[in-house]
Amino acid sequence: MGESIIRTYDLWKRYEVQGHNGAAIRGVEVDIRRGQIVALFGKSGSGKTTFLNLLAGLDVPSAGRIEIDGRDLAGLGETGRTRLRREKLGFVFQFFNLLPTLTALENVFLALELTGGADAKPAVEALVLVGLQGKEHRYPHELSGGEQQRVAIARALVKGPPIILADEPTGNLDSATGAQILALLVERCRAAGTTLIMVSHALNTCDYADRILRMTDGRIVEVHSCRELTQ
Amino acid sequence: MKSVIRSFLRYLVRRRSLSTLHLLGIAVGVAAAVGMTLASRSALRSLEEAVDFLRGGATHTLERPAGPLEEEVLARLATDPAVRSLAPVIDRQVRLEGDEKIRLLGLDPFLDREVRSVTARIGRSESDDARQRLFSAFLFDPRAVLVDEGTARRLGLAAGSTLPTSQGSLKVVYVFPNPTGEPLIVADIGHAQELFGLRGMIDRADLVIAEEAPFRARWDKGFKIESGRQKTETLTALLGAFRLNLQVLSLFALFVGVLLIYNTAMFAVVSRRRDAGILLAIGASRRQIAAAFLVEVLILGTAGGALGGLLGYLLSGLLAKVVGEAVSTLYFFLKPSALPWSFWNLGGGIVLGAAASLVGCLPSLLELGRVEPVRVLQGRTASRGARKTTNRVALWGALCLAVAAALFLLASLHLYVGFAGAFAFLTGASLFTGLAIVWSVPVLKPLFGSVMGLSGRIAVGNIRENLGRTSVAVAAFMIALSLSIGLGAMIDSFRTSVVWWMNSQLRGELYISTKGDVHVPEDFYEELGGIAGIGGIDIFRNVQITFRGKPTSVTSIDASVLQRYDRFVWFEGGGENWEPVKRGSVIVSESFSRRFDVKKGDRITLDGVDGPRELPVTGVFYDYSTEHGVVMMDRSTYLGLYRDRTINSLGIFIDETNPDREALIAEVKRRARARGLPVATRAEFHRRILDIFDGTFAVTRSMRILAVIVAFFGIAGALMTLFLERRKEFGIFRALGFSTGDVARLTVAEGVAMGIVSFAMSVIVGTAFALILIKVINLESFHWTVFYHFTLQPYLVTGLTALAASLAAAAYPVWSVYRKYPVVQIREE
Repeated sequence: MGESIIRTYDLWKRYEVQGHNGAAIRGVEVDIRRGQIVALFGKSGSGKTTFLNLLAGLDVPSAGRIEIDGRDLAGLGETGRTRLRREKLGFVFQFFNLLPTLTALENVFLALELTGGADAKPAVEALVLVGLQGKEHRYPHELSGGEQQRVAIARALVKGPPIILADEPTGNLDSATGAQILALLVERCRAAGTTLIMVSHALNTCDYADRILRMTDGRIVEVHSCRELTQ
Repeated sequence: MKSVIRSFLRYLVRRRSLSTLHLLGIAVGVAAAVGMTLASRSALRSLEEAVDFLRGGATHTLERPAGPLEEEVLARLATDPAVRSLAPVIDRQVRLEGDEKIRLLGLDPFLDREVRSVTARIGRSESDDARQRLFSAFLFDPRAVLVDEGTARRLGLAAGSTLPTSQGSLKVVYVFPNPTGEPLIVADIGHAQELFGLRGMIDRADLVIAEEAPFRARWDKGFKIESGRQKTETLTALLGAFRLNLQVLSLFALFVGVLLIYNTAMFAVVSRRRDAGILLAIGASRRQIAAAFLVEVLILGTAGGALGGLLGYLLSGLLAKVVGEAVSTLYFFLKPSALPWSFWNLGGGIVLGAAASLVGCLPSLLELGRVEPVRVLQGRTASRGARKTTNRVALWGALCLAVAAALFLLASLHLYVGFAGAFAFLTGASLFTGLAIVWSVPVLKPLFGSVMGLSGRIAVGNIRENLGRTSVAVAAFMIALSLSIGLGAMIDSFRTSVVWWMNSQLRGELYISTKGDVHVPEDFYEELGGIAGIGGIDIFRNVQITFRGKPTSVTSIDASVLQRYDRFVWFEGGGENWEPVKRGSVIVSESFSRRFDVKKGDRITLDGVDGPRELPVTGVFYDYSTEHGVVMMDRSTYLGLYRDRTINSLGIFIDETNPDREALIAEVKRRARARGLPVATRAEFHRRILDIFDGTFAVTRSMRILAVIVAFFGIAGALMTLFLERRKEFGIFRALGFSTGDVARLTVAEGVAMGIVSFAMSVIVGTAFALILIKVINLESFHWTVFYHFTLQPYLVTGLTALAASLAAAAYPVWSVYRKYPVVQIREE
């Protein structure tokens, strides 16, 4: 594996709800390498999504430091973090999060356009890669859940980001479709050398990962095998 | 960027029913403002054109400060070295069949050619012989008149036609073109003098003057000299407060429109929050999202504004007529025609719609700018937050009310301050809507539950749960209903005050010749004076004068008669105020007192025929006849000041104990009719005044209706949005076994509950608004005290309007429910 692309140092995310203090992330330190496929497991409420949001610069840590591709997120500011998401990060969500008023092609092209691209050809190719040839002009509500997630993957892949963050990418799909989506996502990331961090409940995700992490009460521990997860 | 904008704009098409409702809401709000501006402008343009046309090439007019001018003055004028041309003019009105008033100018066809082209045009397109014949007819036939082509067309007149008028039948000898559209009859000045009993007198001399200053110096004493510009300014000043009030009235409708735009923008933000979260997550900047939202709102505002500009233009034709009638009744004859179509109307509408949209969407834009992607992608809604902010918003409302109160205290500085206070008050009141909804739920829930069961309870709960979405629609509707109640209560209070004033000041048994176009011959007054048994005759004359550079009026009366029979209400003192009036002092109306800061004990200087004269003011009385103020004096004082013996009307007073009362009334009526003078009993005269009063508020009523229409679209849009935004919730209802009918009932209940809350609030806000209109706006605009009188009608009418509008607003969303509910499912996308 190559050099480090994501590093966190004593990362904390604290919150206060109705006078009660708590922490969603407690002193997380991870080092993720370029091209690595990482599966992050954990129970609901363990802090997985918060961790992804922090990595994407969508949320700000209470303490600690995050480095993406060697750059400290805190030093980037709002504009820098927006540029980071635009150029270096792809997102795949559990609920697809496609814009309902744009067609499949437009949803994918949107990601390209934000990086300054004016040519829709890569967007068409991305849709072909995820098996949606002929469905480019359909709106999200005209597609099945699996197809919508394929569009989301195409949208994440099309700009060729070095990192893709996937938050429960199969959580809203049946197991067969989920497996197809996982295979597709991992295959495309491996082909492009993209780092993939997948947050998941589904144990089969572990079969696709180079590295397995488990999050418990805001802390991350390394897991060395899929079997260990069930113990 | 294009894709971001496209993704937002497609909502406009996707939710076209909602977009249409919002578009129409903006359009009607803009139409009200554009329509009223155009109507007001057409009135002004018509006024200027009429003044220009009637003035012709004249640079100045010369007249007596009050009453007609002696013909002999013309000879002196003709020899004045500054006078290049002069033309005597009789400027009066005649009444046509159907009570329509029309201006009649008496002109000298020889002298007038130097100033105007009207008489010079007689028979221009005819042969020399025919032209000579027509000119002779105009000159020698005492009933011959020229009629402008617009009037001729409207009344079906042509050369040779007979035109029946209050001054007898007139014979049309020629129809002349009049580019201003001002209805006009022209007669030879000699015939006009005969027609109006003005032998040896004229109303004014139109002049072409070479050197103004020396001319003014020579003619300063006993004459009023006005340039064309001054004339227009004087007439425009007469309309000042009236126009301003109409303009502000239309702005109230636009204010409701802005609330609706805010409503629209807020609904848009609700549905765009999640999209904004997604866009932020994939790398769009907040600026890009804000720009896309702004484009969407501006497109809606621009399209609504353009439609509003178009509708406003169409509306202006109707409003110009209504404004013209009100101006003609209250101030001077004016028949404005709608302005010709101009693309500026469209442009103005677009600018107004876009500007209102920018103002209306600003809070939503800020909200969108603060969207936290983490929260919205987790599905946390803004509505829950909106509930928490209700108290904070109400605090802002309290602050606005405090600002309004401060502005009302400073309202005497300028009328605009009072209007700013009124807007601050309405803004403050609208910010209390959320709190009002929260407070009303415990009352409405059991009420709707008992009538409509579960659907009713859920509906009321929904209104509270979706406070962020419902409170602005309720606020817009509440403001519209408050305008309706406020304006209605103000008009009713004003009407009651006018009735009180009429009963105290217009107590004659009969009134002769009160229509303004027929004067009473002095010998008729003397003739009536000879009838035994008549208690008194008030001899009434009213003239417009200029006092301290502003138009006002002087009224002459018989102080002894009024002291005995009328019950004037004074600021200070009582009937004893008449004693000094009999000896040469004057009394002034409340409007005059407030306008010119003249109080009892002060002295005022009026320009009479013998120059300025100082008169003591010995009383101030309540009066609603003119907002420009009245200086009232005994006829003896008036004659000494102006030497104008014209009598506008007579008030006949007969003691109630007189056994021959009925016979005397019949006798006076008989004699007046024999002279062709119109007679009205006290009841008829009062009724006519009230008819005029009601006519002048026609514009106000139309603005009330427009405000309610604007708000109707708001409620319909809110209900529609509630349905569209809660499809998932409806999916749960469907899964639980709610029928389409249940959901339709729920939608109707939501509409009615919102209507009830709006109405309940408007009862308080509307009453307060009526008091603001009465105690601040009316006082500062028209300088008179209106007394607040409670009447049930405005509340009843507004309540029924609220119910009908709520039910009607629910109709389309209910139809949508029947179409869409059966296919609603529980799903995310």
